[in-house]
Amino acid sequence: MNTATSTSNPSRAEPKTQMQGRDNIRFDHVGFRYTRDAEILSDLSFSLPCGSMTYVTGASGAGKTTLLKLIYLHMRPTRGLISVFGRDTSQIDRKAIPALKRRMGIVLQDFDLIDHLNVFENVALPLRVAGQKRAAYKDDVSGLLKWVGLGGRAHALPQMLSGGEKQRAAIARAVIAKPEILIADEPTGNVDQDMAKRLIRLFTEMNRLGTTVVIATHNKDLIPKDASILALVNGQISNVTNDAGIKA
Amino acid sequence: MTDSITTQEQPLFPRRKKDDRPLFIVFVILSFLATLTLLASASANRAAADWHTDLASSVTVQIKPNDKPGAAALARDILLQSSAVTAVTILPVERSKELLKPWLGGAALPKDLPLPILLDVRLHAGQAIDNQQISAAFLAANIRADIDDPQKWAKEIKRPTNAAQALSVTALVLIITACITAAVFATRAAITGQRRLIDVLHQVGAPPSYTARLFSANFALTGLKAGGLGAGTALLVSGLIGMMFASSSGVSFFLPGLHLTLTDIYLVIAVPILLAIIIAFASWRTIIKTLYEEIYP
Repeated sequence: MNTATSTSNPSRAEPKTQMQGRDNIRFDHVGFRYTRDAEILSDLSFSLPCGSMTYVTGASGAGKTTLLKLIYLHMRPTRGLISVFGRDTSQIDRKAIPALKRRMGIVLQDFDLIDHLNVFENVALPLRVAGQKRAAYKDDVSGLLKWVGLGGRAHALPQMLSGGEKQRAAIARAVIAKPEILIADEPTGNVDQDMAKRLIRLFTEMNRLGTTVVIATHNKDLIPKDASILALVNGQISNVTNDAGIKA
Repeated sequence: MTDSITTQEQPLFPRRKKDDRPLFIVFVILSFLATLTLLASASANRAAADWHTDLASSVTVQIKPNDKPGAAALARDILLQSSAVTAVTILPVERSKELLKPWLGGAALPKDLPLPILLDVRLHAGQAIDNQQISAAFLAANIRADIDDPQKWAKEIKRPTNAAQALSVTALVLIITACITAAVFATRAAITGQRRLIDVLHQVGAPPSYTARLFSANFALTGLKAGGLGAGTALLVSGLIGMMFASSSGVSFFLPGLHLTLTDIYLVIAVPILLAIIIAFASWRTIIKTLYEEIYP
């Protein structure tokens, strides 16, 4: 990691040892359904401590993406309670949600880069939205772009990038604001195995610096053997590997 | 290369002139119509007020033809006795002949044609003569004369003026409604077209007001530019029409002509600003409603 990288990383995060023990994300008998259909998620109860790194696994349709959407407050559960940053989400006014979302970084499967903005602008977006001045963040953004190997692509529009480059740009955008929780939905789904391993290393590095990381993936080859895993089958928890402190 | 990128912020809302053009044209037309309506209304009001003031400050007395000699002078003396009267002018016969031109044409009139003698009576501001008293005095002096009642004419002016005002208000209400409808329609189209931008802004924690400001500012700017062009064109067109009427000795009752007043200038400046505010508000409401219904849980 170079000097620019260290300025771009979540240095403000608390040391992992101090943070561990507090729950960042907590589900209590959570269920979710669209309209009157059967529940997509059913009776989920678990908690993810601060500074943990968790892999959510399961086959396609198991409810991984829905689970992540509930964590990043994109939807509200149809039953049960969810706490994020120690706050019961059912009690949070919707006007307060953007402020909570600014404490999270999100990487989605289809990257969600904005077509008319170049890579630099895409990555700088969370800081711009947070009201930071350009002079204050331009070095951070440039440094992070170098760190993810996009230093020479700052001017490129998303349609000029390869799948791997898009993925790295999306990840850079998710981490630029030094989030306390990083959520990634199939972040390695569109890249080759080598790139996938590099990205997982990047997430591990983020976690080492204190960020709570939740990654949904169906690619079990990428999950380290000692990893904390929340396995879903048909919207229910089928198995939990408790190495990193998941309480289910 | 990176330096040039990092120093200049790209607009978050894409500005594509080609996409904005139809909306721009709609706003130009609406602004043109609104400005023209307001200028016409202001001009009509001004003309009506001027005529009303003229009517209120003067009275015409008509001494009937073939009345006794010196009747006009006698009538003037009677009129001057009224405290409301400031001056009385006996108009020359040529003036009476001029009044007949619209009916009899410009041909020379026979010398023995009986014509009334007109007296132009000027009044103190806000005062009126007592028609009954003056008529009684004329009768006593054996003068056959008619006194015009200015109130009757004032009422005649008020009626079309009120009708013109009602028409203007109706037209403005329709224009504003069309403007709001166009802004709402365009905002909905933009929401569909920029759905990814909205979703990403939501993802990175932008409050709804941030996203709404982004959209409404874009539409307000389009409205301001289009409004300016429309209002300017309306001013030019009304000026040209007014000039054409003036050069053809016609009447330009509803047009400001080339004599712009300060009110006209204020109207031309106000229309684009008001248009931009209406568009911004309509766009803001539409996007906030959509965001809370579809994006923010």
